[in-house]
Amino acid sequence: MVKHFYSFIVETDTLFMEIDSLEISDHEKEHLKSLAESNIHHAVLDSVLSKLSELDKDIFLEFINSKNHERTWKFLNTKIRNAEDHIKNAAAEIKKELFKDIHEAKKS
Amino acid sequence: MDNSQVYKKLRDKWITRHIESQKSLFEKHGATINNFVNNTRNFAVGSASALMLLSSPATNFLPPPHTIVHEAKIPVEKSVFVASDLSSLVPDEVRELTPSEESSISGVLTRDFGIKVVPELNGIRLNRTYGLIGAEQHLMRYPGDTMDSHFDKVSDDLEYRGSGMAPGLGGWGYFAKSKEEMTQKDADREKYYIAVQSFLAPGFAENTREYISFFKFRKMLVVNPDNGHAIVADIGDAGPGIHTGKHLGGSPEVMRYLERVDGAQKGGVLYFFIDDPKDEIPLGPIETKQEI
Repeated sequence: MVKHFYSFIVETDTLFMEIDSLEISDHEKEHLKSLAESNIHHAVLDSVLSKLSELDKDIFLEFINSKNHERTWKFLNTKIRNAEDHIKNAAAEIKKELFKDIHEAKKS
Repeated sequence: MDNSQVYKKLRDKWITRHIESQKSLFEKHGATINNFVNNTRNFAVGSASALMLLSSPATNFLPPPHTIVHEAKIPVEKSVFVASDLSSLVPDEVRELTPSEESSISGVLTRDFGIKVVPELNGIRLNRTYGLIGAEQHLMRYPGDTMDSHFDKVSDDLEYRGSGMAPGLGGWGYFAKSKEEMTQKDADREKYYIAVQSFLAPGFAENTREYISFFKFRKMLVVNPDNGHAIVADIGDAGPGIHTGKHLGGSPEVMRYLERVDGAQKGGVLYFFIDDPKDEIPLGPIETKQEI
């Protein structure tokens, strides 16, 4: 899995364990995990970009582009109140949806 | 619901959500993203890179959106014709091909791709031409090359960083003396390299020097017979070891394009020499010349 700037605060192991519990092939599991990661990634980016001014969005994108996670966090912490919690909440929300989807798929 | 339906249901739902969230992102922040992409030197192209910036690696695993929603409208890929041509020639079991099979298959590949493809060149052949491919890591291209300096595009970084970098050098050492001296050709040689069991080639022990010279960056056509995807690769390393049960290795980029994976689900690929004495055939994915 790719290490994103938020990887250390967004836990995905339990979600991936849930995917692993499905009786599908390894390839299918990997695909679902990648999709789940994509969905979380978009949710996190949207949550951050929505809190930034146009100028700050540019700066944030530069930091992501540079892969400098430390600078990214220094920047976010000055721009978004409780940035970590904000991102955690955004990720938790989408993960909740993904868990729900898995449970529904299992039941149907 | 049977297991395959569970997968399909989740896959389609999550792909749809992915597309919707991407669309939403662009509706809300598209101006900034496009501005960033168009004004940042690290981005080589325009809006397509913007999409990649906001996508995790999963995006490239996804079929195009219309293949999900309207399956009846899936465009026919040219590679399907290659797979079809090979289907009656390539054995179900991944094994050494007979000379007759090699001749038939190389003939089809030569015709389909419009380049001369042969199992033996200059009297030299590898131990086999059909084998199980495993995943290799990135290789250091020049002294000081790291995962942080390895990718020109963020999309590549996102997609391939996870493969990591091999602790040692490739079979021929560095691809360039320094970052400044590295050419596009050097970069492509690392990007599209394969590792082959050159040490098992008939005659290698008796003619080591000659064989090493022959194998160094030798171009090969590597084809996944199941989907017809083909790539012009170069021999950049020796391996894998016999004990691995694999017969060759592919760079992360090669593996991704061929849609081959390592581990229990590793699959077979065809690999033949390309006769390109003037070095005219570019490295990278190649499409059949057949017209649909």
